[in-house]
Amino acid sequence: MSRFRRGHVVARSCLFVALLLAAALLMPSEAYALTTNKATARPNENGGSNVIGGLATRLTWEGTVEDGESVSSVTLVLPEGGTFAGSSTKITALDGLDRAAVDGFATANDNQLVVVFSQPVDEGLLIRLEVEGMAFPSEGGDVVVSGTYENASGTQQLADSKPISTIANTSLQMLVATLDEMEAVQAWNSNPFLGMFFKPQLLVTAFSSLLPGWLLCLVIVVVAYPFAIALGLVFAFMKISRHRLVRAIAIVYINVLRGTPLFLQIYIMFFGLPMMNVNIDNNVLGVIVIAINASAYLAEIFRAGIQSIPQGQYEAASSLGMSYFQTMFNIILPQTIRRVIPTVTSDFITSYKDTSLLSSVGVMELMMFAKNLTSVSGNMTPYVAAAIFYLIVTLPLIKVVTYIENRMAHAERGGGPRPKAGERSAVEEAASDDLAAAELSTHFEGLGEGQLAPVPVFARMAQEV
Amino acid sequence: MSTISRRQFLATAALSLGTMGLVACGGASSGDTGTDTAADAAAEYTLVNEGKLTCISNLYFPPFESMDETTGEPVGFDIDVSKALAEHMGLEVNWLPSQAFDSLVPTIKAGGTADIAIAGMTITDARKAEVDMSDPYVDSNQSVVTKVGSEDTLDTLNAEGKKIAVQAGTTGADWATENLPNATIVPLDDIISAMNGVLTGSYDGLVTDLPVAGYQIKNSFTDLQILEPIPTGEQYGIAVSKDNPGLTAAINQALADMEADGTMAAIETEWFGAEV
Repeated sequence: MSRFRRGHVVARSCLFVALLLAAALLMPSEAYALTTNKATARPNENGGSNVIGGLATRLTWEGTVEDGESVSSVTLVLPEGGTFAGSSTKITALDGLDRAAVDGFATANDNQLVVVFSQPVDEGLLIRLEVEGMAFPSEGGDVVVSGTYENASGTQQLADSKPISTIANTSLQMLVATLDEMEAVQAWNSNPFLGMFFKPQLLVTAFSSLLPGWLLCLVIVVVAYPFAIALGLVFAFMKISRHRLVRAIAIVYINVLRGTPLFLQIYIMFFGLPMMNVNIDNNVLGVIVIAINASAYLAEIFRAGIQSIPQGQYEAASSLGMSYFQTMFNIILPQTIRRVIPTVTSDFITSYKDTSLLSSVGVMELMMFAKNLTSVSGNMTPYVAAAIFYLIVTLPLIKVVTYIENRMAHAERGGGPRPKAGERSAVEEAASDDLAAAELSTHFEGLGEGQLAPVPVFARMAQEV
Repeated sequence: MSTISRRQFLATAALSLGTMGLVACGGASSGDTGTDTAADAAAEYTLVNEGKLTCISNLYFPPFESMDETTGEPVGFDIDVSKALAEHMGLEVNWLPSQAFDSLVPTIKAGGTADIAIAGMTITDARKAEVDMSDPYVDSNQSVVTKVGSEDTLDTLNAEGKKIAVQAGTTGADWATENLPNATIVPLDDIISAMNGVLTGSYDGLVTDLPVAGYQIKNSFTDLQILEPIPTGEQYGIAVSKDNPGLTAAINQALADMEADGTMAAIETEWFGAEV
């Protein structure tokens, strides 16, 4: 019996010690009458999403007054180097979702902000302080907002907020600050039109922040275009097919895609496919939509190109015993490609610009970045920056189109390259690659419709095939 | 714009209004509600059209403003407020056609087109720098919306790879970038495409004004849910040109009268089922 009792005592004392330990561990975490909910900062990077130290921004601090408590003042403290000087504070108290009648005044004192309420804030209320025009320490890093509050029993320590990650000032932002202070820039901006469309500070930041969007535009159209060309060729051949059904499919495909706005096609793909449980990455879907849309236009371009090749070319080929496919791939298509290059380049330019429509469905491309920057800054300059990004690609391409057209016009007039009598062996060597085949066919083209191509060269090509 | 059919126009408009509304809410930042105009300047004001209170808004932000499906007339909470305002000021109300939300403040600032913009527009420091804002006439909050059945919480939404749709330039967009820094914030033109995107799974959630989210979920997007209301206590105000301080004072007076004689409560009850 006594042994049993001893065991009992030991067990009880163990339990007691355990309880004491648990209490000691729990104690510090439940002492707050004002619980810190969050502290966040508005990104103040011009054209970016970082919070930069040393530059004015807005701190939002929220805390809840616990049951049975009331709070008469709150002091927020920033780490050394942070400042509330020159800030204005908006005080809001909310009971659930309803505003409560609470006001007060805030006094900024270097890295301390003292907010005194006109009467103590009651239990259960959410206190929301929005401090506009404060700045975090300029060296950046994770910043914890600490502080104190006063309740009935005196001044208490506030729980530290979760850290706000900030960065040190960037050279780009410093350039902006320099521009801000230049008198010439100020004079420039004081003109309403120049200031609205060509603000130098925004041009600088827009160029850097639009860059990823521009790259995405390029990637989308560059990836999409080979697919568009392949699809376009397929549908071009289908449209000139002898089989009525195949022709009908191609006609429906081409007409529906050319006859409806790309915007609509984007909406249908982006909202329709997920509803059928087809989930594709947004960027990939963007590539698909652009490729499909461009393929319809390319199909028409290729068809017109193929049909523009004189009938004599087919006749010459069949007289040499070439099959349909041999004729197409060795005689007709090489000539077609040459003829459609300017039109295809124009279409490429159109497709490249059309990627801007993807911004409406959340693809993070150039226009999307520009639009965001505009809506944040209330200034049109980011659109001008975007226009410049588009022109960087389109202007050289337009130049290329003009060049090719001129060369072609020259060739059509008979000024193109042609084999000279003494250089036949060189021509024969060259005939083995496709490019040369194209050159040769240029030559045939120059002869005009209805005329037969020089048979010896042609026959050699047929052999090689 | 006039060449598209009314239905298309309405659909687009609904989208853009939604966006606008968000934009309106989005702008809310710090700064006390402004009654900074001289109260003694009351009664001395100019109007674009004699005897008429000419109003502009973006009419795609239900329930605050939208166009009647059959007549195309503006309807909504803000429209009723404008009518009551005009009545209290002894004027007739004159609504101009809908225009883009971000053009409202510049239009009012430029003057000559309309007297006031009343468009679910949150009173913000940025807007107060351009135009005068009236005393607040209704409170608003933000909300995070997800698809019904989604297991996301605010914590899981704030993670790498999550996509949050917002209306570009709104207080909702501000809230999202500030409070969900790890997620990808996707700014869109309007709240309808954001809602469609969440519905189809393109985005994991969206942030918009609570009243608009509540209204749209109840009436159109029943497969969405309000994951969490976000108390921000932002307030809508009416934009008036800085050149017309007398009108701001008169509007503030009329708003106070409407509050006192129960007109405001009646309008709130009509649109929200309760006083707010």
